[in-house]
Amino acid sequence: MARRFLSLYCRDVPSDRLTPLVEWCDRYSPLVSQDGCDGIILDITGCAHLFGGEGPLLADLRRRLRQMGMECRGAIADAWGIAWALARYGRKFIVHGETAAELDPLPVEALRLPEETALELRRLGLLTIAAVRKVPRRSLAARFGATLLVRLDQAFQQAAEPLTPWRPPAPYRASRVSGEPITTVPAVEYVLRDLLREICERLEKNYLGSRHMELACYRMDGTLDRCKVRTSKPTRSIRHLMRLFSGRLDALRAGFGFETFVLSVLDVEALHPAQLSLSLSDTVEEEASFDALVDRLGMRLGFHDVNRIRVCESYLPEHAVELHPAIAPTITSAEWPDYRVRPIRLIDPPMSIEVSILIPGGSPVQFFVGRQKHLVVRSEGPERLTPEWWRERGMRWGTRDYYRIEDDQGLRLWIFCDSSEHWFLHGHFA
Amino acid sequence: MLANPALNKLRQQIGCIEETQRRFSRTIPVTEPVDRWLPYGGLSTGCIHEVKGTNLASAIAFSAILASRLAGDQGNILYIAPDRSLYPLGLLSYGINLDQFLHVSTRKSQDLVWTAMEALRCPQVSSVIALLSGLDLTESRRLQLAAEASGVTGFFLGHAASAPIASPITRWKVSSVAGKPGQRFDKPLWTLDLLYCRGGRPGKWTLEWHSQALLPIVPQLPAKQAAREALAG
Repeated sequence: MARRFLSLYCRDVPSDRLTPLVEWCDRYSPLVSQDGCDGIILDITGCAHLFGGEGPLLADLRRRLRQMGMECRGAIADAWGIAWALARYGRKFIVHGETAAELDPLPVEALRLPEETALELRRLGLLTIAAVRKVPRRSLAARFGATLLVRLDQAFQQAAEPLTPWRPPAPYRASRVSGEPITTVPAVEYVLRDLLREICERLEKNYLGSRHMELACYRMDGTLDRCKVRTSKPTRSIRHLMRLFSGRLDALRAGFGFETFVLSVLDVEALHPAQLSLSLSDTVEEEASFDALVDRLGMRLGFHDVNRIRVCESYLPEHAVELHPAIAPTITSAEWPDYRVRPIRLIDPPMSIEVSILIPGGSPVQFFVGRQKHLVVRSEGPERLTPEWWRERGMRWGTRDYYRIEDDQGLRLWIFCDSSEHWFLHGHFA
Repeated sequence: MLANPALNKLRQQIGCIEETQRRFSRTIPVTEPVDRWLPYGGLSTGCIHEVKGTNLASAIAFSAILASRLAGDQGNILYIAPDRSLYPLGLLSYGINLDQFLHVSTRKSQDLVWTAMEALRCPQVSSVIALLSGLDLTESRRLQLAAEASGVTGFFLGHAASAPIASPITRWKVSSVAGKPGQRFDKPLWTLDLLYCRGGRPGKWTLEWHSQALLPIVPQLPAKQAAREALAG
């Protein structure tokens, strides 16, 4: 199938408005990219029929942009270079095949050349593309370098030109356009359920589940809202996803109303169909499952606050454990040796304490935390922890000598002495 | 057995009355003398227990012991706190398997309560250890009902000085006690105060955590008193 490109030339649009416009063009095709500082390029291969053909698509695009107060020119052709040239210099906006006939009369600037090259060509009297094409390639290369030839080849489909979309196209995507603008949450929910049904069915056929979904809601006035839903395990349960989405939908502001909805699955993972159990008691309801709980907590609190614990390969207390987001792939923990007794609570950063009586080379006998006096009754240690040279933070205290001490009140604390003989309180034992 | 219909009917009625009592009859063991003291022969599951500590670390450790017994090999333990001061490696000596442990931290107190609520409603969670403050009567009652419905056990921690939460099934206070010379720091001594127990009496024990069990310590009577008791005996 021949590729079809739509180039949009937005001369009057300020550059800071171009990026949102690129995102907005998502509604026509998933492959959209900004093109220079005044244009947008869309790969609309296989998309046009959704809008009734290429003509209606272009008309629809221009009408909507005009409503937003932007005058743009667009052209559709078989290659990026042709579409670009036609959008800026052409008379005909939709071209099939007949490349040479369309491009030849256009000025040399239509080849997307650097300004000085174009100027040089004009000075030599080569005003149109046809004139440039008559010059032998060898002399063009000698005079203007590779750029001109590459551009020429791209325009005449002799060289490939890849399009890098502003974000990777979603592997699964479904969209709905509503006849009337939608303003209420129940109506959005209805559309969403419909979209989810379609997507989940497709996922199921391929034994996949979604980890990350996004609903883009396009408003009448050209702005859009996105709701994202991440899950800790792949899922294709409509009920679960609806529940995760419902928390986000309330935050949508309809304004003039939504007209288009695009649901895309940004991340998929394998999810094999589960065997249904015959006895009802065996099956745990999806909603009641632990994974669903993790997803709900993550959606409300943010996934950086819902963590699993990972033991790392380090003895330094601040590096030995790591909170690891529950949503991330599972990780293996290191083994922790029993004899290294650790406190239940850690004070971060360690609190400076004042030692008033000290056995030289041993543990303190009496010290103050703030103004609170602690008399040491029992102590264990030292446990010497040397800094790991590959870390910067561990170097702050140098070599640390840790003592587990118990005071006269029965309070059990973890204190250390750094290499400059300063004492710190670092944790509480049970 | 005599088939007396009137007697059977009476039995049924008594059974209905006792059903409410039976709600908390699923238990886990704490330690032998404590179990004997508690009205159901152990610590009830599927309800809220409040654990206070003179030192928060002791309260966490005590809850962790009970939570690990509840979780077994499969269960999930949720720890909910407003900060990240918990040091999970310290929990290892109290029988917690960190793979079953989920750490949730959030600053907002309403999010904390919401999280506790969601967790208590999820039957695949075995226990919830939460640091909540300032629960009102309605909230704590709702949490209690959620726990009863799903069978999840909640341990709500607090400082000894902080206001008690309303309507727990038991309220404990854990205070650390000075250990014997040479005692290891991962085998601490605690005084366990049962401040309140629904359907039971308050009590007090001194326990030592040793080889995965809470061993009761019989208080050593001072020599003079012992002599006096020996004379009296």
